Amino acid sequence: MKTLIKIAWRNLWRNRRRTLLTVASVVLALVLALFMRSMQLGSYEQMIKAGVNQVGYLQIHSKGYWEEQSIDRAFFDKDSIDAALKSTSGISKTLPFLQTFSLASYGNLTKGVLVDGIKPDKEDSQTNLSGKIVKGDYLTKSEHSVIIGDKLAQYLKMDVGDSLVLIGQGFRGITAYGIYPISGIFHLPSLQMNSQLVYMNLKDAQAFVYPYQEGLLTGISVFLNDPDHLPQVKKSLLTKLGKHYEATSWKVMLSDILQAIEVDNVSGELMLFILYIVVAFSIFSTILMMTMERSKQYSVMISVGMQRWQLVLVSMIETVIISLLGVLIGLLIISPVLYYFHENPIPLAGSMADLYLQFNIKPVLPFSVKPHIFASQTTIIFILSLVSVLYPVVFISRFNILNASRH
Amino acid sequence: MSIIETKGVYKTYNTTKVPVNAVNGVDLKIEEGEFTAIVGPSGSGKTTLLNMLSGLDLPTRGDIFIENTNLKGLSSSQLIDFRLNNIGFVFQAYNLIPVLTVKENTEFIMFLQKVPKRERQKRVKELLGAVGIGDKMDYKPSQLSGGQQQRVAVARALASRPKYIIADEPTANLDSVSTSELLELMAQMNKKYNTTFIFATHDQRVMDKARRILTIEDGKILKDEQFDR
Repeated sequence: MKTLIKIAWRNLWRNRRRTLLTVASVVLALVLALFMRSMQLGSYEQMIKAGVNQVGYLQIHSKGYWEEQSIDRAFFDKDSIDAALKSTSGISKTLPFLQTFSLASYGNLTKGVLVDGIKPDKEDSQTNLSGKIVKGDYLTKSEHSVIIGDKLAQYLKMDVGDSLVLIGQGFRGITAYGIYPISGIFHLPSLQMNSQLVYMNLKDAQAFVYPYQEGLLTGISVFLNDPDHLPQVKKSLLTKLGKHYEATSWKVMLSDILQAIEVDNVSGELMLFILYIVVAFSIFSTILMMTMERSKQYSVMISVGMQRWQLVLVSMIETVIISLLGVLIGLLIISPVLYYFHENPIPLAGSMADLYLQFNIKPVLPFSVKPHIFASQTTIIFILSLVSVLYPVVFISRFNILNASRH
Repeated sequence: MSIIETKGVYKTYNTTKVPVNAVNGVDLKIEEGEFTAIVGPSGSGKTTLLNMLSGLDLPTRGDIFIENTNLKGLSSSQLIDFRLNNIGFVFQAYNLIPVLTVKENTEFIMFLQKVPKRERQKRVKELLGAVGIGDKMDYKPSQLSGGQQQRVAVARALASRPKYIIADEPTANLDSVSTSELLELMAQMNKKYNTTFIFATHDQRVMDKARRILTIEDGKILKDEQFDR
């Protein structure tokens, strides 16, 4: 075996330039594939992270709420729910909320809004909502007030200190209504949120929707220490909560984002596929030249007593060496680059930045450095390189030594 | 006892409309220790006959026995093993493995035969010394002259301790000095190791050294002459 490896190694360096070019094509393929994939998956991760930051990895609802988001599917917070959440390991934070649609009116102007009852401190620690206040103050626990988006304030011609009238459907058929002073005006990146959202203290929202009993919620957002534990947490919660509740994962809640990612991912994979084809041909053509060029040497070796399988082995060792060298050098080159862009994402500008902001996503291009990206791309490029060995295998198994020795 | 015996050997090519018999009914016996030249004009069938005697090609009709083994009965893989353990080759274009040194080239066939390393090294030293290349063991073939390369090829052929050595036009690419030296060397090896040599050649100097000359024409042996040299 040592001698076969020696022959393979020396065969490679007999035509140094060609070998280096083949290694370079493997390097280039891996570098491009990893760069593209890391950037693409990094941006997906960022989109998902932004979405999850808003809705949580999981939401507890009353059964059927997600399908039909009606206030009539709200539920009362109970000790049993609290106990279930506390006894489930892996949960980092929970944010109870009450959301309902309502009409917001000021003077002669009226607009449909989403009233979001939140716990101000908890919400702030998760989304830094207080940091988005552009005028006035953030919600405090004691104040019976609301904060609204700047576009909504502009539409209703309101300012801090003015009173907003809310009227809508309450729980169990009652009419919900109230007058709330505006304590602050916020600005979020999303236009839709700016023109439709009204935040108020959870207790105020509960009193607005159903003043006869405390603790009404439409959902509880659940955040996890490790997103990979989502299936276990979900299963455990469902078991503890019983059949009247549902646990909706972020994949269902953010299905629009996921669909957009899927569509975009297909185009990315297509580009990668084209890259793979180009690289495969490049490696294959070199292996083909190497094989044809050495057909006489092969015929001599078989004539003097070398078995064809031993020659196949030499050829395979050569390809493995080229592939390994290419993959290792490629990883050495691209890894620091990807880690740099992971830590220092590329800032976006212009319309692309605006687009990101519309979806409440920071306008930067972060790179993913998840191990599976390295593993999958390296494996694919390595296998592609190895597939090229099929030609010499077939050639060596079939070629006529007398014909080859004449050429 | 004959090392090689052919019985009614034909090799027919059907590449044109009319089948061509490159070897046309050859009956032949070659004894151990012979130094035999097969001569004849181009296209007479000497290389084809040599290819069949070395198991590189099989007859269309007839049988070739190497010490009672009929080559026709061997599979492709068995033929390779048979060549490895019984036949040495010296080619016109030397055909050393370019990426291996002189020492490694000489050792190569023994490696395939799984000869222990110590024994390999002993034989390499002895043979390269005998062919006069002992001081160039670590050279690559490209660093040697044609004559020197052919000497290494002879050492490589002998290293496997073959029953016979097939040499197809071994002097065709050599100058007259190298040719004389090589022939002298092969004659010595023939005597020293009692190894049978079979040449295909046009070269009068090879014929002058041969103790048996088989003249072939149109695939048939016309003359079989013995010389006491």
